[in-house]
Amino acid sequence: MNTALFVIYGVLLLGVTGVAEYRGWSWSRINQQRVLPKSIRDNPGAYRSSYGGYSRYIGGK
Amino acid sequence: MSSPAANCPNCGAPVKFLWSSAVQTTCEFCHSILVRTDVDLKKVGEVADLPPDASPLQIGSEGAYQNKSFVVVGRIIYEYEQGTWNEWHVVYNDGTSGWLADAQLEYDLSWAAQPPTPLAGADDIRQGQTYQWNGKTYQVTSRTRAHYKGVQGELPFQYWDKSDLLFADLRTSSGEFATIDYSENPPLLFLGRAVEFDELHLKNLREFEGWT
Amino acid sequence: MPAVQAKSISCPNCGGPVALRGFAHTLSVVCPQCMTVLDASTPEVQILQTFQGKTRTQPTIPLGSRGKIGDTQFEVIGFQIRQVDSGEDTYQWDEYLLFNPYRGFRYLTEYNGHWNFVNVESALPEPSRSAGKLAMRFGGKTYLSFDSMTASTVYVLGEFPWRVSVGDSIACQDFVAPPSMLSSESTSGEITWSRAEYMPGSQIWQTFKLPGSPPPAYGIFANQPSPYGGSVGSAWRTWLWLNVALAGLAFLFMIISPGHVAFSDHYAYSQNVRSDAAFVTPTFQLDGRDSNVDLSIHTDLENNWAYFSFALINDQTGQTFDFAREVSYYHDSDGSEGSRNNSVIIPSVPSGQYYLRVEPEMAAGSPDVRYELELRRNVPNYGFFGLAALLLLIPPVLTTFRKGSFEAARWRESDYAPSSSSSGGDD
Repeated sequence: MNTALFVIYGVLLLGVTGVAEYRGWSWSRINQQRVLPKSIRDNPGAYRSSYGGYSRYIGGK
Repeated sequence: MSSPAANCPNCGAPVKFLWSSAVQTTCEFCHSILVRTDVDLKKVGEVADLPPDASPLQIGSEGAYQNKSFVVVGRIIYEYEQGTWNEWHVVYNDGTSGWLADAQLEYDLSWAAQPPTPLAGADDIRQGQTYQWNGKTYQVTSRTRAHYKGVQGELPFQYWDKSDLLFADLRTSSGEFATIDYSENPPLLFLGRAVEFDELHLKNLREFEGWT
Repeated sequence: MPAVQAKSISCPNCGGPVALRGFAHTLSVVCPQCMTVLDASTPEVQILQTFQGKTRTQPTIPLGSRGKIGDTQFEVIGFQIRQVDSGEDTYQWDEYLLFNPYRGFRYLTEYNGHWNFVNVESALPEPSRSAGKLAMRFGGKTYLSFDSMTASTVYVLGEFPWRVSVGDSIACQDFVAPPSMLSSESTSGEITWSRAEYMPGSQIWQTFKLPGSPPPAYGIFANQPSPYGGSVGSAWRTWLWLNVALAGLAFLFMIISPGHVAFSDHYAYSQNVRSDAAFVTPTFQLDGRDSNVDLSIHTDLENNWAYFSFALINDQTGQTFDFAREVSYYHDSDGSEGSRNNSVIIPSVPSGQYYLRVEPEMAAGSPDVRYELELRRNVPNYGFFGLAALLLLIPPVLTTFRKGSFEAARWRESDYAPSSSSSGGDD
């Protein structure tokens, strides 16, 4: 009985892991924005990053 | 298996032998103890009323052990501090005889045997002593002072009115059983094993009121 | 031959009737009216002991009850309460004598709602050792030493095939191999071995058709079977196979996520340069399904830090992924801290033409830093497999812990409990 439950749990876990890998999920904190004006390509300095301006951002993997 | 009937020398009642090699029997009617000589029966004593006992076996009960069938033909009753027990004399279908002990409904089968090693004397036998017989370790589990209470039916030897009775029981780790009877000198050894009621396929047993 | 008659005698003390359910086996019987212990071995019934000073206890299974255990019907003909005084603790248990005129005597014991069916054994156990402890080998099983005690009879009812008296005491030793227990009882030179099999209260109630429901069982009893049986072994075996499957899955994704480089270049950042630090890369193609993108930064930092903010921008749709990473590396004669490299995985990036906007930042007055950026499409994210492996550990660890707790609770009641007091119940 317990073995069956464990196997179901394990298969679900493996399934979720497989989906996460396939869909390219990640833990990283990424901010998404919908549309950016084309002009940024020509003027990268005009773009304000959500992460800009921190003098010492403790990030990393 | 039977031999020609004879008559009780005491009361004249017919005496029938179930077993041709019986040495002693009792008369059903007058309770005389009769010993077989070459020519006739001799009365050697009398059995007082047997104490009430609740053994399900009786003379005439039948059973089988490892495909050898047997008939119960006689018994010796002993009494000790914790009650009584019966040594039922059984005769197998090959004419040999043995014993079926019934002590508070615990059953042990045994057969007379030659001691493979010398036996300790009555004063020396102690609980916990061991003997190595036939590759098994037999340990003395009890040392019992008993007294003779009576006999009934056919026995393979003469046995009555015994006064000095000491028994030592021995057991092994695989269910073998042995008993040393110190009522004779040299003591008698019986080797056998503990058996369950179901192993014996017993028939023609006594009935008990309230039990079907 | 007529059936053996059930007897009834008259109590010599009070004259009341006393039934003898054990036929001629009964050596002592307690008069239910005046509670005197009588010697029934001779027709002249004698008084063995006047039984005073104890309130009457009704046995849970009434005398005379019949029930079938295995193939055999038994009748309850006797009852006694046994007591152990072990220093600080006094505890008691109930014993019932069961009788069948052909198959003989058995016993039922009850302690704190735990029941056992007991049979006297003829064969002798063999002393042995197991896991450094004294043990007995019997019937192909090894029984571990559990406890030993002196038990005395404090209350009797009904009949017994031996001369019983209140105050009788015997030395007992118990050995367990759940659900069985091997016990020895010794009196003046004779040792009797018996084997007990644990019986749930519900089975007792069913067997004797008792009203109501059985009392709850408190604590863990010496030979109570563990509900975790072999489940620890099977849990770890299942865990092993699930890990094999996980490894297979990881291997699969190693193959189908090639992580080929979509873009790579090296740069230098200098504080001296006047113009804006931010720049954009040329566009590059990210193809396939919405898989991830791995960006790694390799620098030549020496005792300094650098902060990079990034935006991965879809040239066609304008969809932007905004993120940043800090890289810092310090070292001296004692050791080092941090790393010259860092990386980030951007999740679920749809395919398309992309470019990267990069803005590095450093502390004022820092020397130039050279760095390389490498963007790889569709890499296996090993973090997920690591997490899955960790989560897979939970059920077998939990089962092992639970079984360990159960067994610890069992052995806490034994003579081998870690605490110095040898309290607890048994039999």
